[in-house]
Amino acid sequence: MIATQTITPRLERSYARLGVLLIAPTILVFSLVIVYPLLAAIYLSVFSIYTPTLEGNFVGAANYVKLLTGKAFWNSLGVTLIWTVGTLTLQIVFGVGMALLLHQNIWFRSLARSLVLFPYFLSTVVAVLVWRWLFNDLYGAMNHGLMQLGILDMPLDWLGSMPNAMIGVILVGAWKYFPFVVIAVLARLQTIPEHLYEAAKIDGAGPIARFWDVTLPQLRNVLVVIVLLRAIWDFKEFDLIYLLTGGGPVTSTQTLSLLVYQEAFGLNQMGQAAAYSVGMMLVMLVFMVVYIRKTGKEG
Amino acid sequence: MQRSMLQGVIVNLVTWTLVLLIAFPLLWMIITSVKPQTELFRIPPTWFPETITFEHYWRLLTETPFLTYFRNSVVLATTTTIFVVALGTLGAYSLVRFKYRGRETLAMLVLFTYLLPSVVLIIPLYLMMVAIGLSNTLVSLILAHTTFALPYALWLLRSFMEGVPEDLESAALVDGASRMGAFRDIILPQLLPGIISTALFTFILSWNEYLYALVLVNSDSVAPLTTGVMSMLISAFNIEWSLLMAASVMMSLPLIVVFAFLQSYLTSGFGAGGVKG
Repeated sequence: MIATQTITPRLERSYARLGVLLIAPTILVFSLVIVYPLLAAIYLSVFSIYTPTLEGNFVGAANYVKLLTGKAFWNSLGVTLIWTVGTLTLQIVFGVGMALLLHQNIWFRSLARSLVLFPYFLSTVVAVLVWRWLFNDLYGAMNHGLMQLGILDMPLDWLGSMPNAMIGVILVGAWKYFPFVVIAVLARLQTIPEHLYEAAKIDGAGPIARFWDVTLPQLRNVLVVIVLLRAIWDFKEFDLIYLLTGGGPVTSTQTLSLLVYQEAFGLNQMGQAAAYSVGMMLVMLVFMVVYIRKTGKEG
Repeated sequence: MQRSMLQGVIVNLVTWTLVLLIAFPLLWMIITSVKPQTELFRIPPTWFPETITFEHYWRLLTETPFLTYFRNSVVLATTTTIFVVALGTLGAYSLVRFKYRGRETLAMLVLFTYLLPSVVLIIPLYLMMVAIGLSNTLVSLILAHTTFALPYALWLLRSFMEGVPEDLESAALVDGASRMGAFRDIILPQLLPGIISTALFTFILSWNEYLYALVLVNSDSVAPLTTGVMSMLISAFNIEWSLLMAASVMMSLPLIVVFAFLQSYLTSGFGAGGVKG
């Protein structure tokens, strides 16, 4: 790699030692705060542990039997899938659309980009506070805005009833995370060679045909990566949903992340919660392996 | 010619309408924060404030523990960032420019942990912090934030490091520099934009994190802004929205500063963050 011809075996060995030495602190911290807790979660999942006293006893596969036969896990898995598919679809559609618009030569382009980007970097707590105020049933701007525009006749209860709560959560999720898609797509759009568009124009393709025949195939690879990454991140989202609805009404927006939290710190069943979290991780593993193989190949 | 100009105007109008719709919640946050209490509960709401007041900001700073939360968040995010970027820079140098067994596996492990859900780690981490007597301290939060910040920083720095040309380092080595000497004099200056970008991302991640703070910390004196401000919402007898919106604006200040002056670093981080496809 480095000046290959001049490297002696002795120097190579000392370089390898230095390399290991440089990564050693990282490995140490990794083992301590990630690998050990990960293994501990699997270990805990075969115990029954009462959170306040942290006392527990071995129960074998009982937690997993409950996971498979009980309703809680499957119900939450269903909720998680609805949330993920719903918010991800909106993110991709609005993200690609907005990227195409911002790629045009518009007035104050950099200001427009900044404004679009901002929600992504905003704290979830701030986003949730603002949206809960917007969604407020008595004084909220959402209801009054929609009523003044004639879309609604009556104020809606946005977060307290179904299916409004799920729609609300999906909307806020889309608002907060679609800028990720915008940035990634925008960066790719700038690298599409202009001559492809000119060739398509000469062939008589209109703007819509050019989008389907030139832009979309060029975006394909980046979109696959974005969808995988956002699917993983949306699937495990906790803060946004917990703070908006707390999983309610009842459990209708309780995704798997919220179920694990609720079981561990609401119902005080840490062992069962650990089993749920392991189950959740197994579901995610499919996406993770696909993503890792995809980026690993390119990298 | 005429037609394409008209088209341009339409594209502009559509785009800016959408941009303003997207930015509206943020605008509304600022508007609400400067409305007097009496105007807040008007039905229908006034879209532009009739009187502007900064009383909510004043009350936030003098009558609530907001400044304590703010200080805790600054300490937490800064320490996490320095810790993680220091480890990550050395680690990324090792992963990209050295050859040893297990290097590829390690890189894959980093990517895997970068995708791991926090709720899997939160239970063992909670037990660990209780066991070593660190629960309810900022140190426990810094350690917990490492779980997502370190894989993230390593992954980002790794791709920035790959962008630093190798021949400069080789030339320095031929001239008799040691590896660490070359790292300090050649690599670090070239990596600096990447380091800044990574540091900004890490800082924002840590600044915004909620779940770990919710589980690991439960007293006002060590609570960061996220849980602190949320507790102001939950504990209030009647929710004071203008106070909460003022808190939201103040909480977003570091972000606004980064956006105003360092935005290019944020967008360059995106390219490196695994979405280059």
